[in-house]
Amino acid sequence: MNTLAESLTPTLDTTATRLLPTLDVAIDAACARIAPTWPLDRFIAVNPYWGQLERPIAAAAAQLAGLSGSPMLMPRSWYKQRFEAGHIGRQHVQAAITAAGAQVSVDALVHGLSTEPAIPARLPLATDIVDAGRDLGHVMAWRDYITHHISQTCGAYFDQGQADWGPDHSGGLYPSWLRQSAHDFSPAMLMGYSGFTQRLATLPTEPMALIDTALRALRVPTEAHEAYFTALLMSINGWASWCAYQRWQARLAKGDDVQIVHLLAVRLAWELLLHESLMALGVADKLAVAWRTSEGVIQHAEAALQHDWLWQAALERSYQAPLCQGLMTAPAPAASLVVPAVQAVFCIDVRSEVYRRALEAASPAVQTLGFAGFFAMFVEYQPLGSEMVRPQLPGLLAPGLCVTDECDEHNGPGLGQVLAARRKKNLLWRQQWQAFRSGAGSSFSFVESCGLLYASKLLKQSFGAGGKATTVEQTGLPPQALGQLRPRLPTSGGPDLAARVNSAATALGAMGLTTDHARLVLMAGHGSTSANNPHAAGLDCGACGGQTGEVNARMLAQLLNDPAVRMGLHERGLRVPDSTCFIAGLHNTTTDEMQLFDTDLLPPSHAQDVATLTSWLQDAGQRARAERAASLGLATLAAMPDELYDAVKNRTTDWAQVRPEWGLADCAAFIVAPRSRSRHLNLAGRSFLHDYQWQRDPGFGVLELIMTAPMVVTNWINLQYHASTVDNARYGSGNKVLHNVVGGNVGVFEGNGGDLRIGLPMQSLHDGENFRHTPLRLSVFIQAPQAPIDAIIAKHTTVRHLLHHEWLTVFRLADNEGVWRYLPSGVWEAVARQ
Amino acid sequence: MKKEQNVTINEFYLCKTARYSLTQRNHDDITNMQTLLQELPVGRSALLAAVPLLYLLAALWSWPGAVNARWRLARLCAAAAVGAGVVSFIWLLAGGAGLVRGPVLLTLGNFGALHLSLRSDALGALMLLLVSFIGWVIVGYSQPYLSGERGQPRYIRGLMLTLAAVSLLVLSNNLLLLVLAWTGTSLALHGLLTFFHTRPQALVAAHKKFIASRVADVCLLAAVVLMGQQLGTLEIDQAIAAAKALPAMTGPLQAAALLLALSALLKCAQLPVHGWLIQVMEAPTPVSALLHAGVVNLGGVLLIRLGSLVGDVPAAQALLVVVGSITAVVAALVMMTRISIKVSLAWSTCAQMGFMMMQCGLGLYDLALLHLVAHSLYKAYAFLGAGCAVEQNRLQQMTPAAQPVSAGRWLLGAVLGMGLVAAAALVWGFSPAKAPALWALGGIVSLALTPLLAGSVLKASFGWRLVGLAVAFAIALAYFGLHAVFGRWLGVSSVGAVPSMALVAWVLGCFALLFVVQGAVRARPQGALARGLYPWLFAGLYLDELFTRLTFRLWPARAPTTPGTLSKPAALANAHTSGDL
Repeated sequence: MNTLAESLTPTLDTTATRLLPTLDVAIDAACARIAPTWPLDRFIAVNPYWGQLERPIAAAAAQLAGLSGSPMLMPRSWYKQRFEAGHIGRQHVQAAITAAGAQVSVDALVHGLSTEPAIPARLPLATDIVDAGRDLGHVMAWRDYITHHISQTCGAYFDQGQADWGPDHSGGLYPSWLRQSAHDFSPAMLMGYSGFTQRLATLPTEPMALIDTALRALRVPTEAHEAYFTALLMSINGWASWCAYQRWQARLAKGDDVQIVHLLAVRLAWELLLHESLMALGVADKLAVAWRTSEGVIQHAEAALQHDWLWQAALERSYQAPLCQGLMTAPAPAASLVVPAVQAVFCIDVRSEVYRRALEAASPAVQTLGFAGFFAMFVEYQPLGSEMVRPQLPGLLAPGLCVTDECDEHNGPGLGQVLAARRKKNLLWRQQWQAFRSGAGSSFSFVESCGLLYASKLLKQSFGAGGKATTVEQTGLPPQALGQLRPRLPTSGGPDLAARVNSAATALGAMGLTTDHARLVLMAGHGSTSANNPHAAGLDCGACGGQTGEVNARMLAQLLNDPAVRMGLHERGLRVPDSTCFIAGLHNTTTDEMQLFDTDLLPPSHAQDVATLTSWLQDAGQRARAERAASLGLATLAAMPDELYDAVKNRTTDWAQVRPEWGLADCAAFIVAPRSRSRHLNLAGRSFLHDYQWQRDPGFGVLELIMTAPMVVTNWINLQYHASTVDNARYGSGNKVLHNVVGGNVGVFEGNGGDLRIGLPMQSLHDGENFRHTPLRLSVFIQAPQAPIDAIIAKHTTVRHLLHHEWLTVFRLADNEGVWRYLPSGVWEAVARQ
Repeated sequence: MKKEQNVTINEFYLCKTARYSLTQRNHDDITNMQTLLQELPVGRSALLAAVPLLYLLAALWSWPGAVNARWRLARLCAAAAVGAGVVSFIWLLAGGAGLVRGPVLLTLGNFGALHLSLRSDALGALMLLLVSFIGWVIVGYSQPYLSGERGQPRYIRGLMLTLAAVSLLVLSNNLLLLVLAWTGTSLALHGLLTFFHTRPQALVAAHKKFIASRVADVCLLAAVVLMGQQLGTLEIDQAIAAAKALPAMTGPLQAAALLLALSALLKCAQLPVHGWLIQVMEAPTPVSALLHAGVVNLGGVLLIRLGSLVGDVPAAQALLVVVGSITAVVAALVMMTRISIKVSLAWSTCAQMGFMMMQCGLGLYDLALLHLVAHSLYKAYAFLGAGCAVEQNRLQQMTPAAQPVSAGRWLLGAVLGMGLVAAAALVWGFSPAKAPALWALGGIVSLALTPLLAGSVLKASFGWRLVGLAVAFAIALAYFGLHAVFGRWLGVSSVGAVPSMALVAWVLGCFALLFVVQGAVRARPQGALARGLYPWLFAGLYLDELFTRLTFRLWPARAPTTPGTLSKPAALANAHTSGDL
């Protein structure tokens, strides 16, 4: 009765004035739920649940289930398998139950594994209500059609260089869509929607006006507006994430971008158009009924998933338990009192752990450290003679300085300009040639005059797997010039000496490299090599904005080798011995090779040191490759270093290789402690490692930085892998063999079209038999006193949300053997020694 | 252009083996005639037959155990097929064209018989080489690419069966065998296109292809029946000779030619039945590569093989020229609006096939064959390497914006282009006076070179200008050089009626329009023309929507047994694609 009465009441003007302010809030809140996605050439990991942070994880999962049908956990059958295989012990299940204070027995939980949870169906959109009355076995679903339609519109609007010809952008996405669809016959022809263009012509031309109009017609209750908007955006989640990225970048630059609101308007316009065309079906009434109970549906979903969260917690405990025990039994750090021959600073990336362990095994004289791979160089990079400027730092931050390549003075003063001009010409020629090759009119003549040459290209790719891997940055430069170019801070207009000293001091302080310097300090960035791989940047250094860490490592080494900077540091009481030299390197995570840079600039006194280091690095590479061999299906070659090297090397240039390396798959822990605490453990490439000695951090400023920056980044990576695993259809990009790059670098379609696909491809998570990533929330281990940790949690909302809402788990390592778990209630609980 | 003055390879061997003047023979004589091409020695015959059989072996051998063993066999067979292709090509050069009549599978009275007869000649040997090479590349690519994928045995079977059917098709000297091989190709490919049989879009696209292919099959079969009825033989060499011997093309033969043209247009995804070609991105990348490089162009093979039949029927020629050139122009413009790499490549294929059809219609079979082979190689590479789009985009970001080019420069570029093209044609001894169709093609090449000449060369330093001129001239030289080589190579097949000047003018008009529109869009992306045309081209002129609606009215597709996970509201329960790799 109530429903009918409400739906019959005409909308009063007074509601409009009441509606609008709350509407803004609801739109903002819904848009904030969508996490950004970076373009493919800067493909850094993002936690897709970032917009849900303010909710406890179980409540957020229920929201996602209710609004979009997205699961945040694996199916019960998967936990069952784990339990039956003994990966999850009864004691872990019991511990999870106890910690949650749940009233259930282990046996009851085990018994429940045989049936999947009864989660209510997601809340319907107008499209779903219309689709429910159609025979989807024989006609296309409106939901799929609209997704495809919007996706094509967005693809054209946001194109970054694929198309030669784009739509009229003026006014933004929503007006552009209106114009584009003004004569669209496809809804009539494919979906049988008669009068589409006439109805479209009556829609408001402003997105906010459209949203307002649609809400009046659709009768979604006011309190459910935010949830309804979120559900709409999530129905086109890929492009919503792209719009969120536009907004993210605009806000980093202290501006704003509203295309995400336009997208919402486009999606809502479709709801309105469906509602208007099929008024007889009572779409608005059904929507009103469904969304009035939205809170109930979400609560129901949360209740239904309670036991699943216990299993997830048990699974995580089964991983944490042995690691806690291992970290309790740290050997005495007496050995590290001797100053090592080499200190090597690696990125915190989990792949570094394998290599670091191998390097430590290769020589006990090497001390390895972990630090975010951008080495605190807040820069963007512009390759010489190129128009491209790209950030070389985490996506959370805005760059401060622009670095470019420069030539050494002794090669002649004008060489840099000569090379830059040469590259410009070269690039222009390439562009001209490409226009000839794929131009609408000239491609026919191109095929007939040059097409046969592609036989040799096919032969080369099929046999030699493409030869040596070259990077885009090397294009258009003569090979001999590559060795002469070095990324540098601009000599004119760059930071003055004080600023440089400041940067150097900050970096050394953050790394804990303030005393006891070795003769050689290696700054090892990392990068990957793969061919024909749209997601290649995802395998590079996330801390460097999805690029290799080369520029940052070379920058820092150059800065620290500068005598003037050394002097400045000395004046600040930070004494680096004159006998210490800094050297930059790049760890290739696909081949486990280490390339050293600018060795020609080092004094002859250090030649021997470099030679020794090189041999250790080679040894380490061999060990690391052998360790990874089995995971790449090369177990038979593990004992044959040369053959293994060739096999691994071939993967980097093989254009058909869909699994060049496993990236950060299976990441599970983040250890913030001196290396001595974990050096005796084989962490199996699953742990991020950040060096930290609280004794050298008097104000705990470094700890605060670690918990607010690297800890967030590791959470982003961890939950990107998690989301791509548990819901690849929405937060992963599906099957690589179907990938179709959109807009040049925007993202991929899986196949022909559909929504823009974000997140990781299946081939980065799954080997065909099993998942290679186990979805575990990150376990963070911090060696520091309790009080400063508590203070940082209290000070930073984000950190508090991460911990209290169980998006990750923090453990505190005491200086002796103790380990404490931080409970969501804010209490530290001692982990028992076994 | 006309081949009378050139003694081509085929004619040379024809003369050596069958020294009689066809025109002196009447219809009855030819049906009783034993052979036109020489019978091949046993070794060469075996080599020809070996190729389809090798593929068949790899397809049907049910290996007990690991999928890798199957892959090894497939790679081995694909490599052996390349070997057979190369040897048979060399043998053709040494021993001349010929055929193996093979066993009779079915006699059809006055219509002739279904012979398992294969031929080795200029077209067949080159196509065999191409198909086996592309096949080998794709098999090698597929193994690592699909590792971990479920249904690999099914994939290998579909791939090898397709290759078997395609290789049989290009070798066949029997019309009915050709029809069967063509249908077989389509059916085997269908299995590959629906490799992901839970994807609704994959099924819809494959369904559309299925319908277009069956219509094409019916057309082709009808053409073959008419030819058999009129000429009394289904052997291609005999049928062509018989048709040539006729004083004039009979009505049924003219109908047959039209049906052949129609069949080729349908198989080559010409407008408005192009939709399936664009939408089959729902299959793994190497399947797209195979389709675009090795299957969609078979309509061209048909027309080149039976060219002298079609070439004598002006209506068939006009049909090919008009549909082909409209497809080329429209598809090329639509391509400019495409936002994803693979779809853009697919529209490009559509346009290129249109161009090839147009060339066939103009009687330029040698250029059509060059186009076919060169496009296959280029498109296979482009598809297999489609993942490099991001790298290309980075290069684009690095490249400084090109300065706009004034109208005067364009004009200068166009004049220069024409000069270079004329010079290149003269170098190779082409004279447009003798082949009016060359006017059209020469014009298209000069227009293509214009941006290359107008853009950078005229603005850059003297050295770069020289380089630009040299590159443009090299392209023109290559174009006509290859034209000459393929003309010689193909020989007799190029004998066709001289196209009417009206058709030549039509083609020139179409491409001039294409260049003007493209230039206008480049120069004024916000102009009225660009704005007005864009929505229509972005929508592909709604041609595919029309076709889709029609097919679904007549013969709806079945929905997948398990629908896509996102299409159902209660998606949670079955949203786990986990392990469904």
